[in-house]
Amino acid sequence: MIEASHLSKRYGDVVAVDDVSFTVERGEVVGFLGPNGAGKTTTMRMLTGFLPPTDGSAKIAGHDIFAEPLQARRAVGYLPEAPPLYPEMTVFSYVDYVARIKDVPRRERKQKVEQALERCGLADVARRVIGTLSKGYRQRTGLAQAIVHEPPVLILDEPTVGLDPIQIGEIRHLIADLASGGGDARHTVILSTHILPEVEAICRRVVMINQGRKTVDAPLSELTAGGHRLDELFARETARDTAPSEEASA
Amino acid sequence: MRHVTTVAWRELRSLFVSPVAYVVLSLFAVLAGLFFILGVAAFNAWVLQLQQFQAFGELEKLNLSDHLVSNYYDSMGVVLLFLVPGITMGLFAAEKTNGTQELLLTSPLTIWDVVLGKFLAGAAFVAILVGLVGLFPGLLFAYGDPELGKTLSGLLGLLLVGWTYVAIGAFASSVTRSQVVSFLITFVLLLCLLLLPAISDLGVTGGGSQLGSALRWLSTGEHYQQMLKGLVDTADLTYFVAIIGSFLLLTKASVESVRWR
Repeated sequence: MIEASHLSKRYGDVVAVDDVSFTVERGEVVGFLGPNGAGKTTTMRMLTGFLPPTDGSAKIAGHDIFAEPLQARRAVGYLPEAPPLYPEMTVFSYVDYVARIKDVPRRERKQKVEQALERCGLADVARRVIGTLSKGYRQRTGLAQAIVHEPPVLILDEPTVGLDPIQIGEIRHLIADLASGGGDARHTVILSTHILPEVEAICRRVVMINQGRKTVDAPLSELTAGGHRLDELFARETARDTAPSEEASA
Repeated sequence: MRHVTTVAWRELRSLFVSPVAYVVLSLFAVLAGLFFILGVAAFNAWVLQLQQFQAFGELEKLNLSDHLVSNYYDSMGVVLLFLVPGITMGLFAAEKTNGTQELLLTSPLTIWDVVLGKFLAGAAFVAILVGLVGLFPGLLFAYGDPELGKTLSGLLGLLLVGWTYVAIGAFASSVTRSQVVSFLITFVLLLCLLLLPAISDLGVTGGGSQLGSALRWLSTGEHYQQMLKGLVDTADLTYFVAIIGSFLLLTKASVESVRWR
């Protein structure tokens, strides 16, 4: 579903992402891990077509992000770190607007918007103005926006940041639900986070990047096999680069 | 193209839930009424004066179109210069502060869809303003006989001037995150456009030199004056299309430049 090959992004002399490749299969939930500033957001922005990579390319649901940008973007639901909301709109009209610009056919639009609101627990606040909502509801509105056109691929940048434990639980449940939904409704999910228990709770595979480079790409079961703990691995992988070693570039 | 109207419609709806739209509309309506009444009073005083001096020849030449309506339109063009930046300042700047720029650029929209949609929303708002302006000369037809052709060509001129301002405002909004900065850039650009003939008249450019006439050609006022006289010339229409088109191209490049960094 997602094939990133040799993605790099440079800003002048600064290398934000350096030759990152990975693939994600249909229905997989991949946790994208790394310390702040590791290049998680930049990688996600390249996959969604917001930023063009300096080198390398990616395919989303079989569409190359350069050759078929519109098809690739149509296949992605994206929740940026700060949910992209218009504070003056109501929840319903906002999600309806996103459905329009994501090419949801007119006949199905109302039903799909209502379904997205329902799934994200927004049915009760559908007529409320977004600016008056609490942070949790805004985050959910952002998620509703990402899933309204039922994209095969979901890219979520820190979807649970700033939420209370109950809301975090609900969002995780929703993500797990989206990935396991039967047949065509199964979404492929990449979510970035630096909350390790979150990865253990919902992801099956972990891709870890640090200083723009991929350092780990393995199933969660493999990483935690033999009683290893994810936080130890995380600490080891992020500590490694402070002393430049041959290992990291190998 | 379907997306153009979707973007425009959302923009207009957001404009009408913000106080800015209502402040601009009411200020504009008050000023339009004021300038019109002042114009009528001045016209009236003029007629009385000429009658007193029995200057019938002058009185003959006096007419509603040239001595009332076109002055009034001219003033409203200046009013637009102050108010249009208020409408356009948020077009792109607000998308950046909301973070919705990321939504637009990751949706299956082309950049032209976004730019034209935003322009269309601003243009529609200006059309409402120009409609308000048109109400007052409309009243004159009930009490006098201004020339219909001149009244309409002047109104069309005002509409084109307004749209030019919107295109410039859209560009200014696309280069900054701050609505205040966007307002100021637009305002200064529009003032420069207004002052171009004065600069050309200064003679610094050598009077009738090519640079002088080029500056004159660039000025919106020059072309607007022609339309106020009732002359709808292809050359003037071409000017408006060229200026609007160039600023929309610049806006497109500026929106796209997020991707170049």
